[in-house]
Amino acid sequence: MIINFKGAKTYIGTGGKSLDINKMTLCFLHGSGQNHLSFIQQARFFAYKGYSVIVPDMPAHGFSDGNPCKSIKENAKWINDLLVDLKLKDVVVIGHSQGCLVALELNRILKSSLEALIFVAGSNEIPVNQFLLDLSKENPQKASQMMVTWGHGIDGDMSINKWPGHSHYGEGNNIMCMNKPTALRYDLQSCNDYSDGIDAANIIKVPALAVLAKNDQMTPLKSGLKFVELIKNCETHILDCGHFLPSERPMELNSIINSFLSKLK
Amino acid sequence: MSENYKFDTLSLHAGHIPDKETGSRAVPIYQTTSYVFNSTEEAASLYNMEVGGHLYTRISNPTVAALEQRLAALEGGASALACSSGMAAMHLVISAICSSGDHIVASSKMYGANINLLQHTMPRFGINTDFVNPNDPEAIKRAIKPNTKLVFGEVIGNPGLDIMDVPEIAKICNSKNIPLVLDATFNTPYLMQPFKHGANIIVHSLTKWLGGHGIAIGGAVVNGGNFDWGDKYKFPTISGPHFALGGISFWEEFGPSALIAKIRAEGMYNFGPSLSPTNAFHLMQGIETLPLRMKKHIENTHSILDFLVNHEMVEWVKHPDLETHPDHEVAKRILPKGSGSIVAFGIKGGREAGKAFIESVQLASHLANVGDAKTLLIHPGSTTHSHLSSEAMKEGGLTDDMIRLSVGLEDINDIKKDFERGFKAVKKLNK
Ligand SMILES: Cc1ncc(COP(=O)(O)O)c(C=O)c1O
Repeated sequence: MIINFKGAKTYIGTGGKSLDINKMTLCFLHGSGQNHLSFIQQARFFAYKGYSVIVPDMPAHGFSDGNPCKSIKENAKWINDLLVDLKLKDVVVIGHSQGCLVALELNRILKSSLEALIFVAGSNEIPVNQFLLDLSKENPQKASQMMVTWGHGIDGDMSINKWPGHSHYGEGNNIMCMNKPTALRYDLQSCNDYSDGIDAANIIKVPALAVLAKNDQMTPLKSGLKFVELIKNCETHILDCGHFLPSERPMELNSIINSFLSKLK
Repeated sequence: MSENYKFDTLSLHAGHIPDKETGSRAVPIYQTTSYVFNSTEEAASLYNMEVGGHLYTRISNPTVAALEQRLAALEGGASALACSSGMAAMHLVISAICSSGDHIVASSKMYGANINLLQHTMPRFGINTDFVNPNDPEAIKRAIKPNTKLVFGEVIGNPGLDIMDVPEIAKICNSKNIPLVLDATFNTPYLMQPFKHGANIIVHSLTKWLGGHGIAIGGAVVNGGNFDWGDKYKFPTISGPHFALGGISFWEEFGPSALIAKIRAEGMYNFGPSLSPTNAFHLMQGIETLPLRMKKHIENTHSILDFLVNHEMVEWVKHPDLETHPDHEVAKRILPKGSGSIVAFGIKGGREAGKAFIESVQLASHLANVGDAKTLLIHPGSTTHSHLSSEAMKEGGLTDDMIRLSVGLEDINDIKKDFERGFKAVKKLNK
């Protein structure tokens, strides 16, 4: 659905079902340079399982207009305001990559009631190397291509896909190309600048789930494992794939999330 | 892991890694119509396109999917769909994008069935086409109307070998927000990858060089993922609510792969031109050696061009790699590795000479296909176009002395010797 939010056209994927604010809502937060399409195989899946699903395109991403947020805290504030605006009550926030940092900050400020946090390929910090930061300013398309290549496990190289006929690389590059050219640089800079992750993780009180990737080159497994130690009782799973877990291992991820959610009810 | 494998490697490996259970190195032939669901929930998920997976082989099949993913990788596309023939691929694309009342701009110099489909069949369903010279980007621009939904052409035209100036035409299409759909059968991704030049959708007849051995008919649609289908008025069945799946917007839900998702949900579901898993296996076997074969096809073509150009019995030779070809400059720019292995030439002595030549060669096969590993010939004047007068043939860009040659991989001296046998027969006739 498209709404006007803070004066800008804002797209929110709902998994092909209309939003019902009385149901538990799963709010998916995309990663750097991504948009709602990084959750193609989660949005419809959970919407058809009876949850309300929202997958917002952050400002300047996907189908959303507006200026890109310039810090993780600004992203979190934007999402918080959106959830309030939509009058959503019981929300489970599911972040991927940068979306995990945003989820950490959202946990501090969320006014609507947060039911649980799910971190996919996440950590409490995502340092970005200077080369990529520079490239994202000079040539965002090239930077995107490099991220798509680094971000996938062997399935990317070999064009292996659970979704018949689809290529992780071809699709991944084009998903990133849909964003405004400035979106990526602010995303990467926000990740690199964020340093409150340890505190933010320590104060999590809601049930938490982390699904990490064995061959993650963007948020390495080692960093993810340290991160989950900071959270009280974080259920943790490791899947054999790269950083783009939602498209590389959709069924495994969905099934882990599904059983976690069923325990919340 | 982030190896960014090169073309030759992808030709062999893309789309398949040995499965853990059997270790099968070759892509298994999943000769099955359907797939057991683990639960009713899983079945529903597949029907609703919530996640990827296989439901019924008319829609998708693991062997066919390996071929599709190999093609997507080789073309650098977002997704691909394989189907029963090149013509099926063409029809799937048109029917996915256009509805009654829509308009197409197409090259006037294309394979006969491509022309027939657009000129005679589609108008019966309210989809009309204006044909324009593919070498004239300005004419293409002028032909575009408010209801034009796609521009279509062959990168290397069959049989006239006209070359489309793909980057120029792509610029025009892009500025008008119209997808550029190219039949890339004659070039294959080895000689040229149209997405790199701005094209949006590729159709292939896999029957030809990609399969490469003349043993299986097949086609494919490869989707660049680089087209914005967001205009709900222009592309209502892709970005607006579609009857399938409770009013789905393919564009919103699947983004770069919207077109392939739509073709699977509608074209494959309702028309059903599926590729058999066994043929997918054969075609993939062919693709494994595509780079090697294309290299040799081009080498042999260049050698035979030399031979024909200098032969006393040859009136004219047409191939885009010859400086005399009107599109030579475009060919050099967009097809630097070579412009394919189809050659047209005229034999001194007209229609009768052509017939005598064809009937006297013994190594080259006289048949209707192109792109086989073996050398193939056809003389349109005494076969496909025998019912037409010389004048009528000329109007279609053909002459009655013309031989269409698909250069194979034999020892080139054996082909030349074979042709000498043909020319000898023509000489006898001309005496
Ligand atoms: C350029 C071109 N496109 C499409 C086709 C149709 O392919 P198929 O026979 O696989 O349907 C052909 C067949 O000759 C062709 O030459």
